[in-house]
Amino acid sequence: MQLHPRYFGRNLRDNLVSKLMKDVEGTCSGRHGFVVAVTGIENIGKGLIRDGTGFVTFPVKYQCVVFRPFKGEILEAVVTMVNKMGFFAEAGPVQIFVSNHLIPDDMEFQSGDMPNYTTSDGSVKIQKDSEVRLKIIGTRVDATEIFCIGTIKDDFLGVINDPTTV
Amino acid sequence: MSVVTDSPVHSSGSDDFIDYLNEALDASSPNSSSDEEAENQDEFEDLRNKRRKLESTEETEGSTSEGIVEQKLVVAESSVVKVDGCTHPGTFGKLCISCGEILDGESGVTFGYIHKGLRLHEEEISRLRNTEMNTFLFSKKLFLVLDLDHTLLNTTILGQLSSEELHLLNETDSLEDVAKGSLFKLEHMHMMTKLRPFVRTFLKEASAMFEMYIYTMGDRPYALEMAKLLDPQGEYFNAKVISRDDGTQKHQKGLDVVLGRDSAVLILDDTEHAWMKHKNNLILMERYHFFASSCRQFGFNCKSLAETKSDENETDGALAKILEVLKQVHCTFFEKLQGDLVDRDVRQVLSSVRGEILSGCVIIFSRINHLALPTLKRIAEQLGATCLTELDPTVTHVVATDAGTEKARWAVKEKKCLVHPRWIEAANYFWEKQPEENFFIKKTTTQS
Repeated sequence: MQLHPRYFGRNLRDNLVSKLMKDVEGTCSGRHGFVVAVTGIENIGKGLIRDGTGFVTFPVKYQCVVFRPFKGEILEAVVTMVNKMGFFAEAGPVQIFVSNHLIPDDMEFQSGDMPNYTTSDGSVKIQKDSEVRLKIIGTRVDATEIFCIGTIKDDFLGVINDPTTV
Repeated sequence: MSVVTDSPVHSSGSDDFIDYLNEALDASSPNSSSDEEAENQDEFEDLRNKRRKLESTEETEGSTSEGIVEQKLVVAESSVVKVDGCTHPGTFGKLCISCGEILDGESGVTFGYIHKGLRLHEEEISRLRNTEMNTFLFSKKLFLVLDLDHTLLNTTILGQLSSEELHLLNETDSLEDVAKGSLFKLEHMHMMTKLRPFVRTFLKEASAMFEMYIYTMGDRPYALEMAKLLDPQGEYFNAKVISRDDGTQKHQKGLDVVLGRDSAVLILDDTEHAWMKHKNNLILMERYHFFASSCRQFGFNCKSLAETKSDENETDGALAKILEVLKQVHCTFFEKLQGDLVDRDVRQVLSSVRGEILSGCVIIFSRINHLALPTLKRIAEQLGATCLTELDPTVTHVVATDAGTEKARWAVKEKKCLVHPRWIEAANYFWEKQPEENFFIKKTTTQS
């Protein structure tokens, strides 16, 4: 963690902690996934002054909650967009796409004001803001985002909650 | 299953090997030892592991038939892939949307305007186009691609407003109630936009006949802002705003990013050379120059509409006329054409409607600039006129810029119409034969 000299003084540790939280929360790394929140500071090492600039680098060990979806994991997500290619859903910072190849064949796309996927008898509907349970079949972590592909074609997957009835 | 003893290194046919592999796959249980993610019944993983084991036994044997075995492996691989095959219809964030594999390839077309990270491959695009076709033809709708600048609106940068246009800064409409206004100031983009008269009625009526897309050479934030002004409720252009960031070629627009078949798409644009590959689908619009900066951009020295405090006629302007043309094309496509809906082609309808405008006119050109002549001739022929090079009693119009030429004088003598080339251009823009009286040329010289 690099700190500018203006932060030195009595509140050095607090400044360091708040800067850490600001910089790290919300970022993504390939190895750990998405950092949701910092839960505790384990250790702050001795600071090293950089040559040339006045910045000081502190090695900080901290604990945090991370979120990383895995292939095969079952997640609940909220639908954000529905179109003829499938639907996009969000589970926190993770964007998941469920293509229509992986939507059960009895669900058909209906376009219109509120595009949705409906079963032939109209009993189950997937539209924007529906909650669905899906299975992740592939993930890829980018610098700032995690992309996933999901499916609802298996047993026990699909709509949990119909927004129109809630 | 013992891999070593069953290894068919010395077997003759590749079929034996394929059979062996198929057998091995059927016999194996899904939870293979090297597969850690036990929930995932990935047959592909199993196959890869088996192949690795096979290859390692090959190496220990060190036989010369290793090459043959590898060939067989390749053959087996391709045949087994078909069993578990994924056609990889597209990718989202580089992951195949059907099987989840990471695909680094560049094939297919990016559809970033629908959702960031989405990319579809050719087969999937054609499949979607065909299903779209059926849905829309069933509901009697064709596709319409609309350009923004100079077609539906005119935008200027705030800093480029001329002194006579500064009064507009006080006349802008509120951004809260977009549906009622037509002149908007976008502070955060330093721009001012004027919507073309009649545009809201145009969009409303066209939406009943067409599935509409916006395709502009502006960047995505600009395109989305304009879409919000034209369509505050999001009913026309939701996820159908294509900007230059979505196009596949630089400086060119294409229908490859539109999910509709070429035979059912009409394009409304003021720039012909942006649509080199789809000229037959294009309806050329007369440019809308509201701001002085726009006039200057195209080399016009006259006062802009804003400076003269006037505007295009609402009910008689370009958009109204084009709406009539669109209605005519739509009606002809659905009512008058014979044959299956899927086989009809809107381009044919367009050219036949265009060919009726000047049908019956026999034109001769007199002393037209030789650079402009081929274009003019082409436009005239597209409009249905016949162009001759020699004077003939059947000639009905002589097109010239100078009333003193031999052909011009002949026209006056024979009481034929003597018109300026703009008469042809006007017919092209307004899709209607214009009254010749408006395009008569005055006699300027007496020499031939």
